[in-house]
Amino acid sequence: MITVTGLGKIRGGAPVLADVSLWVAEGEVIAVVGPSGGGKSTLLRCLNGLDTFDAGTISIAGHSLAAGPHSPRLLEQVRRDTGMVFQQFNLFANLSALDNVALAPRVVAGLAADDARRRAHTLLDRVGLASFAAARPATLSGGQQQRVAIARALAMEPKVILFDEPTSALDPAMSAEVLDVILDLARGGQTMVVVTHDHAFARRAATQVVELVAGRITRFGPPLSILAG
Amino acid sequence: MMRMPLIRRKPFAGSCLIAVLVLGALSAPAAELDAIVARGELVWAADQEGGGPHVFLDSDAPGRLTGFEVELAGLLAAELGVKARFQQGQWDRLPLLLGRSVDCVINGIELLPERRRDYACSRPYFAYGLQLVARRGGPLDSFERLSTPGPGGQWRVGVLTGSAAEVFLRSRHDLAVDVIGYDGTIDSLEQVQTGVLDAALMDDCIFNFYADRFAALRAVGRPFGGGYYTVLTARETPKLSAAIDAALGRLVADGRLKALYDRWDLAGRQQILALRDATEIPVAERRTLSQLVATTLPLLLSSAGMTVLLACLSFPLAIVAGLGVAVGRLHGPAWLRPPLTAYVEVVRGTPLMLQLYAIFFLLPKVGLALPAVVAAVAGLALNYSAYESEIYRAGLKAVPTGQFEAALALGMTKWQALRHVIVPQAVRLVMPPVTNDFIALFKDTSVCSVITVIELTKRYSVLALSTGRIVELAVVTAILYLAMSWPLSLLSRRFESRQEPRA
Repeated sequence: MITVTGLGKIRGGAPVLADVSLWVAEGEVIAVVGPSGGGKSTLLRCLNGLDTFDAGTISIAGHSLAAGPHSPRLLEQVRRDTGMVFQQFNLFANLSALDNVALAPRVVAGLAADDARRRAHTLLDRVGLASFAAARPATLSGGQQQRVAIARALAMEPKVILFDEPTSALDPAMSAEVLDVILDLARGGQTMVVVTHDHAFARRAATQVVELVAGRITRFGPPLSILAG
Repeated sequence: MMRMPLIRRKPFAGSCLIAVLVLGALSAPAAELDAIVARGELVWAADQEGGGPHVFLDSDAPGRLTGFEVELAGLLAAELGVKARFQQGQWDRLPLLLGRSVDCVINGIELLPERRRDYACSRPYFAYGLQLVARRGGPLDSFERLSTPGPGGQWRVGVLTGSAAEVFLRSRHDLAVDVIGYDGTIDSLEQVQTGVLDAALMDDCIFNFYADRFAALRAVGRPFGGGYYTVLTARETPKLSAAIDAALGRLVADGRLKALYDRWDLAGRQQILALRDATEIPVAERRTLSQLVATTLPLLLSSAGMTVLLACLSFPLAIVAGLGVAVGRLHGPAWLRPPLTAYVEVVRGTPLMLQLYAIFFLLPKVGLALPAVVAAVAGLALNYSAYESEIYRAGLKAVPTGQFEAALALGMTKWQALRHVIVPQAVRLVMPPVTNDFIALFKDTSVCSVITVIELTKRYSVLALSTGRIVELAVVTAILYLAMSWPLSLLSRRFESRQEPRA
């Protein structure tokens, strides 16, 4: 599903990513761990083209990204097939929870408004927020917002979902409700790449763990071999 | 030669009211004859923008004032044993200067009943007729022709706002004429030449003076009607008024006035008529406050409607254009950004009045003649679009980048992200400053009077001068403006309080 080969990125003269290569098969859940500033988020943002890179290639969901700037058309195609969930949720502040989820199916995938809303309802129900459809993001708790954000990513039926520290901005109780949703997705066979500091979660959910330190992969393997109990 | 707007550069009638009150409180008593003699100067007021042959700048020696009234002022001052000193003023506000910095007004002021009521009027020093002017070879060949519609429907006839020509034309309901008021006589001649107007009606001496410059125009028929010019002085200076009357009498009697007119080629019946006496013009009655309100309020209200129309048509256009410019500067292709930046800088850096003037008077020269209201709406929209674009630019930048990234990450194009996510949030952010600008635009509509649109401030100016009730009408006008802008202020405050904290 994802093949990264020799990925390198330089920012301000210093390498942020160096010779990063990894493989993700369909249905796998990859946890990316490592110290802050190690390049985890940058790697994730390179995967859907929010960041460009300077060396190597990425193949994701059937699309190929090369070093340097990408064409807008290619990026739109890559992003239709890859969902992303952000640390700060980034729900659209001007839209209700339901419309946050229904917007992309309508304007990107071209669904009729009714169909898009029906799909959004189903997904909000799946993340346990059916009764909050009309709520504005600002009125929801952090955990609720992040669950809406996951529903929003799912609404495009992506082949891969990228999570960028999805629980770092949440307290433990709210983290737990978000992690439950992600675990549920993992059981359903959704391919995911999760950047996280939460080793316990990585052990439970991940099929593979990648450790990035100073832009290089220091370890890559099954969770038990990498994450000490 | 009469112009009416009291306020041209002051956009808000309220500020005018304050100015009137402050001026009234501070004004020194009018200088009487002995004070003038002691000072050695007679200060006379006129508007050099009014043009020839009255008072204008010498085209051969720019900066030097000339005109038959400049010479007349010199003669009158000499008769009083003093020197003449010119004081520039806006034409229709000249009488308000009396008793303040100015001793008398000599500038084609017509001897009217209203004038006799409010000021001391000298014996006439000049008589004029009304002259209809049209394009050579055009369909308008006689004044009588105005009684039936022309090839393009109603005849469009330009007049100096508030002039005797306007009063006359507006009173002739039997004519198939659309009367359009201008701030300058030359403006209306220009517009006849470019074909915006079918004709203009003005004092005959003015067209005689400018006939060479407007070779494509011709006088239609003989001058008719008309009246006299008078020297205005304050009612509080009877000795000065009497001295000026006596001086005029001597100039008439010994032929110096006739010699002056001969030199200026102001021939014919004028000199004869000038021998008449001011008292044959009746004095207008002063109306009670309730009469005043009853007669002026409907006019003020209908002009307030024009103000609302201008503001409500132009502001949405300004918002759409401003938003387009802001989005183009932030997200458009690189080649588009410098011209958009230049657009904003040029439009913000030039006065609204100049822009209106260019749209209304200069565009017809390249074949684009817009009706006044359309030109006014276009000018206001143009001017405010530059300001709105800066507000929107700030608003767009204030939307967190995470919003944009989240939209892109879902596969949206840049334009979809802008349209569905970024712009709606920016619009909400800028609501308070935009509402504030709407209030400002509301008051700036008064500038449109320079291109013949009669909105509230213009109507106030005209009514204030024709009735002499400057302060009372200023209060009524200010109340009307407040009644219109106050709800907008409330709306603005509501938007501000509804700003939600962002997630």
